[in-house]
Amino acid sequence: MLWHDVRQAWWSFRRSPWLTVLIIGAMAAGIGTSLITLTLYHARAGNPIWWKSDRLFAVTLDNRLVDPQSDGNSRHPEYPPFMLTWRDAQAIYRSDIPVRSARMFASRRLIDPQRPGVPIFRAATRVTSADFFAMFDVPFLYGTGWPRTADEAPEPVVVISKAINDRVFGGVDSVGRSINVSGRPFRVVGVIDGWMPQPRFYDLSGAFDPSEGIFLPFGWTTAWELPAAGPIRCLSNDQVGSFKELLAAECVWLQVWAELASDEQRARYQQFLDNYVREQKEAGRFPRPLNNRLADVSTWLDMNDVVGDKSRILVAVALLFLAVCVLNTLGLMLARFLGAAPISGLRRALGATRRDIVRQHLTEVMLMGLIGGIAGLGLAKAGLWLLHVLLFLPMARQSINPQAQTIAHSMTHLDGQMVLAALAMSLIAGLAAGLYPAWRIGRLQPASFLKSQ
Amino acid sequence: MNLRHIVHAMARSKTGPLLIAAQIAITLAILVNVVYVIAIHVGLERRPSGLDLDSIFWIVSEGHAPDYDHARVTHADLIYLNSMPGVVAAAASSALPQTGMGWMLGLSPEPEDDGQITPAFVYAMTERAVDTLGLKLIAGRDLRAEAVVPPGQHQETQFAHLAPEIVITQTLATKLFGGESALGKTIHFSPVHRASTVVGIVERLQAAPPLFGSASDMEERVVIAPEIPSGPTALYLVRTEPGRRDEVMAHVEKDFGPTQPGRYIERIETLANTAAAMRAADRTGAIALATVATLVLAVTALGIFGLAAFAVTGRTRQIGIQRAVGARRRDILHYFLLENWLINTVGVAAGSALALAVAVQLATMLSIPRLPLIYVVSGVLCLWMIGLAAVVAPARLAAAVPPAVATRGIV
Repeated sequence: MLWHDVRQAWWSFRRSPWLTVLIIGAMAAGIGTSLITLTLYHARAGNPIWWKSDRLFAVTLDNRLVDPQSDGNSRHPEYPPFMLTWRDAQAIYRSDIPVRSARMFASRRLIDPQRPGVPIFRAATRVTSADFFAMFDVPFLYGTGWPRTADEAPEPVVVISKAINDRVFGGVDSVGRSINVSGRPFRVVGVIDGWMPQPRFYDLSGAFDPSEGIFLPFGWTTAWELPAAGPIRCLSNDQVGSFKELLAAECVWLQVWAELASDEQRARYQQFLDNYVREQKEAGRFPRPLNNRLADVSTWLDMNDVVGDKSRILVAVALLFLAVCVLNTLGLMLARFLGAAPISGLRRALGATRRDIVRQHLTEVMLMGLIGGIAGLGLAKAGLWLLHVLLFLPMARQSINPQAQTIAHSMTHLDGQMVLAALAMSLIAGLAAGLYPAWRIGRLQPASFLKSQ
Repeated sequence: MNLRHIVHAMARSKTGPLLIAAQIAITLAILVNVVYVIAIHVGLERRPSGLDLDSIFWIVSEGHAPDYDHARVTHADLIYLNSMPGVVAAAASSALPQTGMGWMLGLSPEPEDDGQITPAFVYAMTERAVDTLGLKLIAGRDLRAEAVVPPGQHQETQFAHLAPEIVITQTLATKLFGGESALGKTIHFSPVHRASTVVGIVERLQAAPPLFGSASDMEERVVIAPEIPSGPTALYLVRTEPGRRDEVMAHVEKDFGPTQPGRYIERIETLANTAAAMRAADRTGAIALATVATLVLAVTALGIFGLAAFAVTGRTRQIGIQRAVGARRRDILHYFLLENWLINTVGVAAGSALALAVAVQLATMLSIPRLPLIYVVSGVLCLWMIGLAAVVAPARLAAAVPPAVATRGIV
């Protein structure tokens, strides 16, 4: 039966090949464009740690001095600053309510491989606490993270990425070996195995930057007066003339994350934060009303608007285009079916049921949608390749981290989900464009055509 | 033959005309808004940078040796770079123009004026900064060597000892002092509790590509302060004589690194490339939007054409009968053109409403000004023309139907 319908459709295509090509081409363009924009959207909209997303919380405190109208985040002036001051990060980290927690910021260090032919290079560095690795389920190739005892009076231990391990140690198990970090020998305790959360949820100041290559215990911040590589925002006019003054100032530049196992724990931690801010209020800080938020990973990605209106607009435009293509197909197919109505009339007279006619015509449109979908998949693949070569790759080459190119690749990767989306879109488009014309043609009285002949 | 007949005829088979009208409506909504967004984008691209983009390249070096003396190396490097043949001027800088990176400080014309703070980019640069960037000096003078202060201990404390004299952009001068000349005026830098006197004003310097949708001219508010940028990372900007950039760059790439021990060259790049890379995403977005708008227009035009062609073939017999009872060729032609015009008009009317609704949404999402009506009017005219053009061929085909068709039995 299906075979018969397909053959009927083939004959119909043959009767007006140009129209068929036009409709399939429009469908392909509509589906292809939608796929490209959906792929770009999809790459930005992911939750890289979905399995424990609701247990991990970014901590924000509202230490702003003035009311938020004059603040940078104009869309949501109610959000507290997304980073914390040094002293707040210190104080909050002291709480033992969370199962795990970590303070952190981005920095940079020089790595001297001390191998002939491998030049010295600058590496993006994360300065953080021991819990970072277990909290974020960081996979290790060799070794582990450092113990909590290494954090405060900092031990010269370091966790490195696989890329750094390949570059400095030629990929061998380097645990226990020494690596020269900005002129100091550090002992490697762990090598991370290709961990690259996208978006980089734990620090969204570079949402699509690779994760760092070097991880240092937090105590090195003061011991070494480490520079912050991320943004520093000062909310007051405190004098910032030295590193010590930066640590004391009302300037935000650190992230604090906490893993909270239950709602009860979360409530207690929220209470702890509010109490802390109340204490600070007595000392003259935090002039605004209490506004301390714990944001789980998906809320956090949402607050930071990682997806962005631009990708939403592109998807909307592409889907509208697809709608135009569907309307176009609907109109043309209706006209074509009605034009060929005498043939259907003849078939009805020869014993085909109304359902046969509807099914055969619907098959014809669905087939066009399907072919359009497959062609659209090809178009999307080509379009994404172009975007990769012309946009993402050149942008990644601007980065000091060679892993940025891997991310560039993943941004334009057409994955299995997108193939399924293409299939779904072509079926829906085929149905939307085909149901009404098929129903109309099925409703026609065969006699009205036979009579006129 | 009048409108009433056409409306009456269309009412009998509404689906086809309605589909075309809906298609035209959506097409108009997409077209008008996409063209508006692209127009805004082109306007931003056209804004001059103020920089001599094509003659400047930059070098990043990184000191690594324990005995690396940043101030001394910077001094020696600048002497080397400035003495190279083909170089107009070279200077060290704390941030790269066009990238939006670097420090922003709060400025005010009065001391401790908390209510009136204007954030601005502050660049620490060495002498002849204006000449190095190729900026147009409209008042005062460039930075002098005597004014350059030694580097801060840390990048975080870069401007703790801000120099007493600075050069600012005209945009910033107007923002701070309005119509008065800013030359000789004092600017207070509240976060670092310093005040400096304006000794030079440049026409324009873009610290970043203009932000899409932002009404402010934030990227053009720049202060250049004479100070050796803190290390151990050093950024040098080099401006060459016109057309000699690549030649000088090749020399630098070959010879510059080894002139000083204890540091390595991380990167050498033209400023033009950097500026282009910073704009690449927005540019690609605009091209993508333009492509989709063109496709929508093409699909709709072909759709109008296709449906009109079907309408003609489907009505051949009726046309023949009309011809036989006295309709002239031009009557038939007019009938089809008028019918199409009617559908088009319904479509563009609905489309204008849809376009404005989408525009309101877009204006808040992208924080751009409300869509000017001229775009809608042009869009309506454009779609009318396209609709008319698409239907001319089928209508002429209809007009060519001979009256004899009426007498034939089978179509």
